[in-house]
Amino acid sequence: MSTPSRTPTPNPSSEQPRGNPDVRLSVEQASYVYAPNPSQAPLFTLEALSFQAKPGEIVAILGPNASGKSTLLKLISGALAPLSGRVFLNGFPTHTLPPIIRAQHIALVQQESRLLFPSRVWEFVLQGRHAHGRGLRFETEDDVTIAKNALAQVGALELADRWMDKISGGEKQRVILARALSQQPLLLLLDEPTLHLDIGAQVDLLESLRRLAAENKYTVVVVTHELNLTGEYADQVVLLQKGKCLRVGPPATVFQKDLLEHVFQAPLSVEMTSLGRPRVILFDK
Amino acid sequence: MRPLTLGRLLLRCGILALILFVVVVIALKLGAVQVSLYGLGRDLIRVLLHQSSAISTDYGMIVVDIRLPRILLAVVVGASLSVAGTSFQALLRNPLADPYVLGISSGAAVGSIVALMVENQLAISPEFAGLITPFGAFLGAAVTIAAVYFLGRREGQIDSTTLLLGGIITASFLSAIIMFLMSTLAGGNLRGASYWMMGSLSSLPPRSLLYFLGIGFLVAAGAIYTTASDLNLLLAGEKEAMHLGVDVPRVQIVVYLAASILTGLAVSVSGAIGYVGLLVPHAMRMIFGSDHRMLLPASALGGAIALVIADTLARTVVAPSELPVGAVTALVGAPFFIYLLRKRLA
Amino acid sequence: MLDSTLSSFRRALIFCAALLVFSAPDIPAQANSPVPPAPLLPTREVIDGFGRTVRVPVNPSRIISLAPSLTETVYALGVEDRLVGDTDYCDYPPEAQKKHKVGGVINPNLEEIAALHPDLVLLTKEGNLLETIRALDTLGVPTYATDARTVDQIISSVQKLADVLNVPAAGTALTNDLEQRLAALQTRLSAVPPRRVLFIVWPDPLMSVGKNTFVADAIRRAGAVSIVDSNQDWPQVSLEEVARRQPDYLVFAASHTGSPGNDFETLAKRPGWQILDAIRNRRFAVANDAIIRPAPRIVSVIEDLARQLHPEVFPQPPEVEKPAPPAAAPTPAPASTPRQSKAAASHRAAYPPESSCAL
Repeated sequence: MSTPSRTPTPNPSSEQPRGNPDVRLSVEQASYVYAPNPSQAPLFTLEALSFQAKPGEIVAILGPNASGKSTLLKLISGALAPLSGRVFLNGFPTHTLPPIIRAQHIALVQQESRLLFPSRVWEFVLQGRHAHGRGLRFETEDDVTIAKNALAQVGALELADRWMDKISGGEKQRVILARALSQQPLLLLLDEPTLHLDIGAQVDLLESLRRLAAENKYTVVVVTHELNLTGEYADQVVLLQKGKCLRVGPPATVFQKDLLEHVFQAPLSVEMTSLGRPRVILFDK
Repeated sequence: MRPLTLGRLLLRCGILALILFVVVVIALKLGAVQVSLYGLGRDLIRVLLHQSSAISTDYGMIVVDIRLPRILLAVVVGASLSVAGTSFQALLRNPLADPYVLGISSGAAVGSIVALMVENQLAISPEFAGLITPFGAFLGAAVTIAAVYFLGRREGQIDSTTLLLGGIITASFLSAIIMFLMSTLAGGNLRGASYWMMGSLSSLPPRSLLYFLGIGFLVAAGAIYTTASDLNLLLAGEKEAMHLGVDVPRVQIVVYLAASILTGLAVSVSGAIGYVGLLVPHAMRMIFGSDHRMLLPASALGGAIALVIADTLARTVVAPSELPVGAVTALVGAPFFIYLLRKRLA
Repeated sequence: MLDSTLSSFRRALIFCAALLVFSAPDIPAQANSPVPPAPLLPTREVIDGFGRTVRVPVNPSRIISLAPSLTETVYALGVEDRLVGDTDYCDYPPEAQKKHKVGGVINPNLEEIAALHPDLVLLTKEGNLLETIRALDTLGVPTYATDARTVDQIISSVQKLADVLNVPAAGTALTNDLEQRLAALQTRLSAVPPRRVLFIVWPDPLMSVGKNTFVADAIRRAGAVSIVDSNQDWPQVSLEEVARRQPDYLVFAASHTGSPGNDFETLAKRPGWQILDAIRNRRFAVANDAIIRPAPRIVSVIEDLARQLHPEVFPQPPEVEKPAPPAAAPTPAPASTPRQSKAAASHRAAYPPESSCAL
């Protein structure tokens, strides 16, 4: 499968690309406020934060519940416009891109997919090719090949003819990932992907992500609250608590005992493995 | 792994169109008055060759003046209702949606009652007389469409759940208004209104109206068809569709307006014929799958076939009397609906 | 976003316009294909019950009646041999049931009508649908509609119909007869105050007739007044309101086929109805169901109802009364031809004054 290294088609009204060409994703002082009722105090505030990510990197957005992780992911995906600051993908602000252009470069993997009417796995994966089509058209040979490859990459090729509502949760997760891969994105976003998976499946998924990021140079951003998976697989960690970014950096720098205990409100200790990865042990006073 | 191709789409549509043609010919032959197949064929050819003035037999008149317009009306109305039903099921992400769930038929009924009242008071010249009631009904439908649109928005764009709720509430409110009007208005020919609301294709609309309906159908259904691939993705959810590249607000507005116009046109002429818009999409989905690029034209053709059959039954089963076609669709539709339910649960 | 929305519609519009140009078959316009074809009969213009100016044949010979009251009138005028079709509900006189049926009153079958090649179709304003008239206009079939909201209007519409059917003298004979009988009845009833009655169309929900209907007018002619004072034609009334007004009599419209539940005995047993004096004192009258048909027979029904409500001004027992009414026995109009007096006489013979169903 070819390495996607395109830049987004310029938006007619956009500015010039900026910044370091090595940097794919750049979050610059992005903040957000959620206030459904303008006359009342805002319900939730995500304070300005910044970080950058390169091709082939896995970034983990880590924090307890209600810390703003999903909001940050939405800002990165372009679904929300930041109140201040900007989110740049290869130099273009994500929010101003039209949806179809965005979908050619950013793929979001949901936890599950509610299907109104039953469909087959291959139909589902082919949906990822929609963004690369034009108006009303039928899928080409290329599209079919790309979808097949995507399924192969997640090890689900044999599921192609099965019905979506008849496969297991883990298999479904892989198929959803395959659909995202068939979009051939630059940026792969996952929102709590390990939530409903057993431990074996969780490890499988993270291993796949690492492999895919390395082979295809995706930039992967994973929202999670799993400490040890983060520690083991993430190249960079963005630590959030109650809408504030407390630290950004490689796991070794972010996983400090006092900091983690403060954020997660649980007694723990941190030790380093032989490969330089931190490991967190809970209930260790 | 065989995605839909243009060739396969045209082939299937061609088969359905052939079935429709056969059904139409049979419907032209059947009726209270007997017509021979030979005479039928000869007269139809004369019509197509623009030689209709040469048709002199009495039965030719019956076929061309009475049955043919009625069957053509059934084709357009059946196709319109089915396409509208398919679209609303996708837009509202609800398999129980039918063209009337957003209150359009109730709005049209109110409009038609008002039109009937106006007609009774004024003396209308003959060429407009046949158009007052459909026009009034369409106006009522249009007002309802606008009202439900504004009710169904959330944060400035259509939200399917809010739209569904707004539509249901509007439908109930308008039904109450209809009951109030029917029970308090003095005299007049309002009996026609309640008969109309049951749904009937026997009104023999003027030619101009038939052409208008046909064009309206092609424009609106064509507009919906341009969003067919988007609708496939919209079934998964608005957020998911957006992340896959669908311009959700644009698709929602186009589909909502076009499907509502289809329903408004159909209801203005023939009243609220039930079950066609709900069940034909499901039947076509069972046969062809949920890809809207296939499903939309299949629903149009399938709906035309279904309504022509239902109307033919309505006017032949108890000849010379007629059953309201809405009764036939309900009698056939309800058992079919139960069958569908059981199949889903199995 | 608006632009791209419009462009979808625009694309579709261009596509289908092209399609339509090449595929529209030539469906003939109304003017080319009247039903029936050819021979041009002499016609004239008349004004019908809707106020429309319609063009009808001078001497219609193939008539279809789309209302039972009109069928009765056609027979009463003696031109039933020109009637080629009527509705499923045209049951009086009994011979009318043998005519070719074309469907119901509100849903007649257009094909059957067309196949009979009528040169005139008769309808009523209150019973038939405007839609039916429009459909017949589209087919080029002449139509004539009557309108009758009072008993006088029923009689005058009979005369107008007779004119249209080209039997004006028969019409005059018939209407004179009817008017004379009504005048005689009026004289007889002038001495007594009108009875207050409730006319029960249906008991549950309780429905009566409004003041603008010919039924209410017929009741007035029978020496009674309906206690329901509503602008609607078939208003629903509450038992409480009826109890407050305490009618002297209850009047039912009996039907030969029997309306289960709409007779005195059944109503008397219903809860709450004992509150009415009329129930306790067993004061009720049964009118022939012809009371709801705006046809010549209504005069007979009025006479019968008057007899039930005011027995004191009709000394003779009903069985002796056959066929001429007492005292003011009308003679046929002096200038009438034998055919027309025969029409008037046969009308009286066929419609004896007390033609109520035996209970």
